Amino acid sequence: MRRFEGTQLVSRLAGDAPIVSNLGPTSDELWHAGHRDRNFYTYGNMGLCSSIALGMAMSSDQPVISLDGDGSMLMNLGTVASIGREKPKNLTVIVWDNEKWGQTGGQTSHTGMGTDLEQVAQSCGITHTKTVTDLEDLEAAVSEALASSEGPHFIVAKIEEAGYLSVAPVEPEFTLYRFRNTFVEPRQPGD
Amino acid sequence: MNWAEEIVKTLKDWNTSMIVYVPDISIHQVTSLIDADPYFTLVSATREEEAIGIAVGSYAVGRNAAVFMQSSGFGNSVNALASLCIPARTPIPMFINMRGGPGEFNIAQVAMGRAVIPIMDQLGLPHFVLEDDGKMDRLLNGAMKLCHANRQPLAICLTQMLHGGKIA
Repeated sequence: MRRFEGTQLVSRLAGDAPIVSNLGPTSDELWHAGHRDRNFYTYGNMGLCSSIALGMAMSSDQPVISLDGDGSMLMNLGTVASIGREKPKNLTVIVWDNEKWGQTGGQTSHTGMGTDLEQVAQSCGITHTKTVTDLEDLEAAVSEALASSEGPHFIVAKIEEAGYLSVAPVEPEFTLYRFRNTFVEPRQPGD
Repeated sequence: MNWAEEIVKTLKDWNTSMIVYVPDISIHQVTSLIDADPYFTLVSATREEEAIGIAVGSYAVGRNAAVFMQSSGFGNSVNALASLCIPARTPIPMFINMRGGPGEFNIAQVAMGRAVIPIMDQLGLPHFVLEDDGKMDRLLNGAMKLCHANRQPLAICLTQMLHGGKIA
């Protein structure tokens, strides 16, 4: 399964649900899958994708999707514990797991050496977990998660690294306020 | 009203109901009040950069958030400020318990405690130091107003002289 195919699938299933995307190709591919104002693309802050999604889920009653990566999640495993502690019912975390740091030379990540992120999630108290390796199983897992009111859900999606798409023409401040304005009235001059 | 109660009142005045923190004995005087008040959601993060991420997520869906941490943990949050809050212009007030000042007993706290303000200056972010509770209401309200007007993080540094904590 390629990440872009999975991203297109998740984007199609998401409806109006906010999606937070990990830095780099994950954000580029989410944009190429079809821009939505409720896409929160990140291009820095490696490791914080699912932390941002946790904050969104705890401050909103809408389903929230995190598109994280194995290398980024390994950088901030503590947030899996925080998700397990807070247990937001409306949060679905999807980890694109290529078992490598694709952007820095393809070095083998810890998931390629035995670390099992699904087991990490389970040990942190997250009970709805799955590991999928093809699009059919991913569609079933994401559909089940989005239809459920008993999250959090944690899906490890094993992917093969493929070529990169062009960098998406997005900008952090514009991304944040375009996203935020779908939840609140836009700020006015002088506010 | 003591300093901790002043902070709680200010957070409410600025509709800041999502509070993310990494536990600390001195700011416990505030976070225990927050924990007991149903107005707030108090989230315990495992690390300070994670706390910043959670707070940004909350702000992104329209709910104001603040972060509490110790000066040592501020060091863990710097890249989150530099690569998330600043480029996305996110107003996150940070209440930082300042170690390394007069009365500090732990050598390991001194360098990071002294580096907080220079780092904030290098990042171009505003900061205020509270040494006592005089005029605290005006300063806190002014800081929150500036934070939201500037749409950038801002540090309110809580010293041992203010809260009396951990002075040997």
